[in-house]
Amino acid sequence: MKNLMNTIRTNSLFVKMFLVMVISIIAVTVLITFSTIRMSNNLFMETFSITNTKVLNQIKQQFESFSYSVAFTTINVQDNGTIKRLLTKENVSSLEASNSFYTIKEQMDRIFSNNPNDANMIVLGKNKQLFNMKYINWSVSADALFDHPITKKTNDHPDEILYQFVAEGEFTNGRRMIVATKALTESSTDNVYGYLYIPIREKDLREFYEGYTSEGNSVLVMNGDGQIISSNQQGLIGKTDQELLAVAKETDENGLEYQDVHVFGKDYMLLTSSLPALDMYVVNLVDKELVINNLVDRKEIVLISIAIVLLAVGIVFIISRRMTNSLQRLVKQISDMAKYDFNKPVDESGGYEAKKLAHAFNYMLNELQDHVRNLLKAQRKQRKSELEALQHQINPHFLYNTLTSVKFLVKENKKEEALETIDALIPLLQNALGNVDETITVEQEVTNIKNYVLINQTRYGEQIKVNTLIAPDCLHFHLPKLVIQPFIENAFFHAFTEKKQGYIQVLIARREEQLVCEVVDTGDGMRIDQIPSRKGKRQLFSGIGVRNVHERIQLLFGKEYGVEVTSQLNKGTKVKIVLPLLEEDAKENTISNNNTKPRVSGEENF
Amino acid sequence: MNFAHWKKTGLLLLSVVTLLALAACSSDDASGSSDGGNGEEPDKITAWAWDPNFNIAALELAKDAYEEDLDLEIIENAQDDIVQKLNTGLSSGSMKGMPNIVLIEDQRAQSFLQSYPDAFYPIGDYFSTDDFAPYKLAPTSLDGKQYGLPFDTGVTGLFFRTDYLEEAGYSKEDLTDITWEKYIEIGKEVKAKTGKDMISLDPNDLGILRVMIQSAGSWYVEDDGKTVNLVDNEPLKKAFENYKAMIEADFVKANSDWSQFIAAFNSGDVATVPSGNWIAPSIEAEESQAGKWEVAPIPRLNLEGAVNASNQGGSSFYVLNIPGKEKAAEFLGATFGSNEAFYQDLVLDVGALGTYAPAADGEAYQAENDYFSGQPVIADFSEWTEEIPSVNYGLHTYAIEDILAAEMQNYLKGKDIEDVLADAQAQAESQLK
Repeated sequence: MKNLMNTIRTNSLFVKMFLVMVISIIAVTVLITFSTIRMSNNLFMETFSITNTKVLNQIKQQFESFSYSVAFTTINVQDNGTIKRLLTKENVSSLEASNSFYTIKEQMDRIFSNNPNDANMIVLGKNKQLFNMKYINWSVSADALFDHPITKKTNDHPDEILYQFVAEGEFTNGRRMIVATKALTESSTDNVYGYLYIPIREKDLREFYEGYTSEGNSVLVMNGDGQIISSNQQGLIGKTDQELLAVAKETDENGLEYQDVHVFGKDYMLLTSSLPALDMYVVNLVDKELVINNLVDRKEIVLISIAIVLLAVGIVFIISRRMTNSLQRLVKQISDMAKYDFNKPVDESGGYEAKKLAHAFNYMLNELQDHVRNLLKAQRKQRKSELEALQHQINPHFLYNTLTSVKFLVKENKKEEALETIDALIPLLQNALGNVDETITVEQEVTNIKNYVLINQTRYGEQIKVNTLIAPDCLHFHLPKLVIQPFIENAFFHAFTEKKQGYIQVLIARREEQLVCEVVDTGDGMRIDQIPSRKGKRQLFSGIGVRNVHERIQLLFGKEYGVEVTSQLNKGTKVKIVLPLLEEDAKENTISNNNTKPRVSGEENF
Repeated sequence: MNFAHWKKTGLLLLSVVTLLALAACSSDDASGSSDGGNGEEPDKITAWAWDPNFNIAALELAKDAYEEDLDLEIIENAQDDIVQKLNTGLSSGSMKGMPNIVLIEDQRAQSFLQSYPDAFYPIGDYFSTDDFAPYKLAPTSLDGKQYGLPFDTGVTGLFFRTDYLEEAGYSKEDLTDITWEKYIEIGKEVKAKTGKDMISLDPNDLGILRVMIQSAGSWYVEDDGKTVNLVDNEPLKKAFENYKAMIEADFVKANSDWSQFIAAFNSGDVATVPSGNWIAPSIEAEESQAGKWEVAPIPRLNLEGAVNASNQGGSSFYVLNIPGKEKAAEFLGATFGSNEAFYQDLVLDVGALGTYAPAADGEAYQAENDYFSGQPVIADFSEWTEEIPSVNYGLHTYAIEDILAAEMQNYLKGKDIEDVLADAQAQAESQLK
């Protein structure tokens, strides 16, 4: 959990960026997908309603042509004298019957041949004579037909052509029929002498429109009572739906192109066309959802959108990951730098911005380092001049004491010794007045030491003996001036306060790549922590004290070089000076910074 | 900016893909319904027939009896529709929507075979023609090739009400092997004694005339099937006279359609029904009259060579020359063409009497029929079948009959018989030229 939080925090830039991108991609895609679907739906519905309106018109024409045929046939039958005569005759002989049956069939044949569609034609007389043009369609008996409600209704409305629905049943041999009926009346008396039936099987009526229907696009034919008398949806035939009828009427009367309705438990687009001659409505119900689903593959659009989203998200992921990764790496490097290494430049990689940033950072780092270096250099310079000043301060006491000694020697006529002392003093002074960082050979240093010792012994006697032990292979090595002398001086004046006599040993040897000089006395010894307190007395040859030596060596050569003092009370003190092996004049061999790397550069010298 | 570009491309891609998908869908639809006439062997064999109680039931029975796996779809169409659709389809040369098997009435068969010789598939190799009644072979073959597989015989009989006849003083013997003159005589007696009409006729259907003339081996055309043979056709003249005599005897109940014809005897209004054997199930449908019916041989014309056997209706199966023809022919050959056991079932279950001679020895054929007072009706019919004179129905049976029906009315009104036939001949010749 904590890890996760941590990961999120470190990746917060990426997370934020990525989230924003993803959300916007999804939002855009979803919006576009929906609007595409909606637009295509609307466009489709629009087109559909136009096409279906045309289709409805064609269906309407079919029905109208049918109703025209029916009306035409009705008029012909009504006007046919033969039919009328035969229907009104009772109790005829075989001969008369034969003749009249033949004649009426002949007449009906002529009339019927104008009647298209698979309609039948039946003429029924009040005398219960029945003539059926297509008994195969409907082999109804005269009695059954005569007593059927459709005949009664026809009798009640003798002047109208009625279109009546007859549900499937024994009466119709199990077929649904739409029967156009008309009472045949005598024009003078209005007496009904027979009935004309033009039955059409629902199956045949359906052919008027069935070709235009499809799944989800159904056609219903309703009569004026709201009863569905024909439909490509078999299950609906015979049902009565007043609500649907009302909507159909409304749509038709208001001249609406289409209406959205909810019937039979579904949403439909309803188009309608009225057939006033038949007192019927042709209703076209389009199951929007189904039809659209069939034509507009929503699933596919959605799948494509999802694919696009995934693709885009993937690309966004890769791109933003690359951008934020390089930034993040930069940040990590910079924060690590503060912890560990200030000199290491950051890696200039990644995106353009990250590169530029890293570059600028590195540039700044370099500048900073240069500045620091310069600062250090200035410091060292200052220190050097301080040391130089100290070095040049030849202690007046020393000169005074030396000269006093020489005076006494001359007075005692020890001319030789006086001369020796002066000879020793001269190179000593000469040496002390040079540059602080000038080096001299070990041999010269030994000479200097000897001179210094000679002067001191002249002055203070010879209770303290100085031995020098120099490895012969070291004589040609160089070392800075006044490195060993302060320790000998120190030993002379401070190591033998209790013991009045003893030895001071000076050992110089090469140990591996170092030149090691040791000043060992057999004096009183001391505690290490007392070393600084002795500084107070300034009976020094030059301003450079024991303490300065260490500082100076490190300043010149680096931290692994320097002075190490070990001491034991009453046993003596041992000073170990570690120096590099310098072959040449020291001008070339000093170091310029506190790094361990020896740096060869002429500009360091002054 | 990058992303805006991406989205644009995406949208473009989306619309392109959508378009492609839609295009793919619509092309699917287009290719789905192409269903040519010369295509592959179809999985389904279709058959057209018209009577659910008779020939369709027979097909169903055959389908069950057929041992091999066959997807047979039987489609019911009115006979007139079948004739019309066949004419429309075959004359257009496109066999699209045509069935593999179609039932055609024998008297119409020649007109199809001769008009569309290439549309039918000869099936003589799928069964033995010798097994079938010879009178069925002439109308179902052309130029020596057998195209039709005989289905039912139209052998006729005189169905009569024993009770009415008895009341008038006649027994079965009095009705056996009589002439039409005798029949009319009896009819008058029956009408007088019982008040019942002797027969029901549809003035528009001269089926009774055809029954009469075939019993004398004559037809509307000569043996070539084409030459109109009305004038000087002695059997036809006799038939006309008999018809008029019946009408004038006033014992004819006129009907105008099949259902009225059925109603005429089911209601007990008529005493006899001279008809093809296929009327038996309709008679038997009126159970209250069980035991009151028997069948006598059909009366004959009072002419030399006339027999007491004739034919009315009867149909045969034909195979259309479209993919699936071999399957269809094999099916017919294995059932209607050679399966004796199947014929027994056919007689028992459907009441359809075939013309397959080997089947006549079967048990079912010998069975006594309780409805007909224990008469072995099937056996009798089978016997009469063998006597039916063979005639060539030719092409124009119904066209000529329409002319004759009109002339018949004139004849009934008093026109001279010679003039009637001469006029009919002239009309037919000019119409059929």
